[in-house]
Amino acid sequence: MKLSVKNCLVAAAAIITATVGAADPSDAQGASKYRIAYIARAQGDSFAAWLANEMVAQAKQYPDISATVFDGQSRNDLIEAHIENAVQNKFDLVIIQPYDPPIQLDPVKQAMAKGMKVIATNPKFTDESIPSVDANPYQQGAENAKLAVNQIPKKAQVVVLLGPAGNPHSMGRREAWQKEFFDKRPDVKILDEQIANWNKDEGMRLTEDWIQSHPKIDAVISMNDNMAAGAIEAIKGSGAKSYPLVYGVDGTAEACLLIKDGKMTSTTLQNAHELAVKSMKMAHDMLTGNATNLHDTIQAELITKDNVDKYIELHKQLGDIK
Amino acid sequence: MNETVKTVAVKRRSSLGVHWSELTSKYSIYLVLIGMIVVSSFLSPVFLSETNFSNISRQISITTILAFGQTLLIICGMIDLAQGSVMALAGLLAVIFFKMTGQLVPSLFVGVLVGVLCNLASGVIVTNFNTPPFIATLAMQTAARGAALLLTSGQNVYQLKDFVLWGQGILLGIPTPVIFLIGVAIFSWYLLNHWRLGRYIYAIGGNQEAARASGIKIKRTKLMAFGINGVFVGLAGVLYMSRVNAGLPNAGVGFEFDAMTAAIIGGTSFSGGVGTAIGTLAGAFIMGFLSNIMNLLGVQSYLQQVIKGAIIVMAVAYDIASKSKRTKTILGNIQEKTSG
Repeated sequence: MKLSVKNCLVAAAAIITATVGAADPSDAQGASKYRIAYIARAQGDSFAAWLANEMVAQAKQYPDISATVFDGQSRNDLIEAHIENAVQNKFDLVIIQPYDPPIQLDPVKQAMAKGMKVIATNPKFTDESIPSVDANPYQQGAENAKLAVNQIPKKAQVVVLLGPAGNPHSMGRREAWQKEFFDKRPDVKILDEQIANWNKDEGMRLTEDWIQSHPKIDAVISMNDNMAAGAIEAIKGSGAKSYPLVYGVDGTAEACLLIKDGKMTSTTLQNAHELAVKSMKMAHDMLTGNATNLHDTIQAELITKDNVDKYIELHKQLGDIK
Repeated sequence: MNETVKTVAVKRRSSLGVHWSELTSKYSIYLVLIGMIVVSSFLSPVFLSETNFSNISRQISITTILAFGQTLLIICGMIDLAQGSVMALAGLLAVIFFKMTGQLVPSLFVGVLVGVLCNLASGVIVTNFNTPPFIATLAMQTAARGAALLLTSGQNVYQLKDFVLWGQGILLGIPTPVIFLIGVAIFSWYLLNHWRLGRYIYAIGGNQEAARASGIKIKRTKLMAFGINGVFVGLAGVLYMSRVNAGLPNAGVGFEFDAMTAAIIGGTSFSGGVGTAIGTLAGAFIMGFLSNIMNLLGVQSYLQQVIKGAIIVMAVAYDIASKSKRTKTILGNIQEKTSG
């Protein structure tokens, strides 16, 4: 038989697929007893990627656990498929980071009905029968909002950057800002409020346009650090001599550096490391029959210029800052 | 005598009407653009300011550079669904190279090289394996995104230092991304209008078999089109990362669709063989003006998307309708002359 380039490529692809497909994730850690499927909402999202990396790292702390990460790619249909596959492939436990909790609720309940153990993290479901480890988005927003009550000047003009439409963390943080700040400071005017989808470039573009139509912006209130950082880039690009007050959430490495530089005011850390530690501990306790607490939360830690060095050090240890 | 004067007057009015109709159909998209500028200048007092135009140019520079690449490919009867992903990979590798070496100019070439290599890979799959460009570039989209995420384990790269000069610098009062945009626009216009390669691209897109019969090297032309697209995509990646001052592995999601939209609004046809660089530039500005004026007016996010969709459909429909009218007029004239 004459070998063509095409046939060789097809054969090579088949061999590679078979080799990869035959690999058992538990082989990497010897004869692991429990297999955990971690379903990330989207590994392309930097926070979700951080959380996924931490989950894998924490799983290695337990010799009787192996964790396999499945990327949901911000798609509800794909996340549902991962849940079903985890049941089919007889994983012992699923830790899920929901993308759209009301939509993921049914597949998770069906998996639990078939005996699958499930933990939800970042965010949790409203159904309290599903164990969870979560940050409290209201608290994340509230810590910044309470600080802003005394920082933002009288009759200030502010702009607000929101996460994706319907996102529970964005909505929770916004609710906190409403109750803890805007309701207490009716003198403050919201010039505009737009969705920037957690993205730095969208936050940047919106702020560039706002600077044109609103020459005086006293504060930028952002539901996450990426969008806040984008706003700061836009302000820098406008040639402004001074920066408005800028608030975010997540405690990313970039936000910590901006706070250190005096360009950002505050953020709250959503500690993926702590989420992973608590999630994996709860998973191990559930699998070994030692679970006592099926709902846990992590605290939102407010980061300002007074304590930012501690968090810069944390990010250095995590490798985010070199 | 009075009847003769009337007939001449009617013929003159009819001739003027035909000329006006030809003008509006030929330049319809530019009329839409001018119309938008006029209306927007009334809606917002800051719209016509120099800084606002500078902002818009900077904001659209990256997707417009991608749009020129998309225009070349669509005219040639192809498409690239991987622009956003390859842009992210190229930009990220350029960032990583700069952080390792501190070499600013070589980092630009690294980005461009990555863009070219990825696009040549897609081109080889299309030309040598007869794979539809849609499929080949869809595969590249997934692979490039995966590679970008793998490079940094999904994490962003910060502290870019001087790398930001590419996307945030100013030269002779003009933002650097805009300078690159002008360069790409001039290059694309010249390629399509004055180079043999441009004529080949149109010919292949218009009728590939006729082009082959006339001696045009199809595979080579398509590979070159992909290669040029790769240069634009790599450049866009470097400009994007430097503009946002971070290496973002998840950057550029959906950018290829924005690029396609600009090209299509500008008159490029998915059927191939039709399109211009100036039209694409006009299409990109139409989209840029739309976003800008709605942000300046504080139009709510959800409503913005509805309005954008409606205006894009109206702009394209007007353009197609006026071109159809022009075609009918031309066919009518031909019929008149041949039967006359």
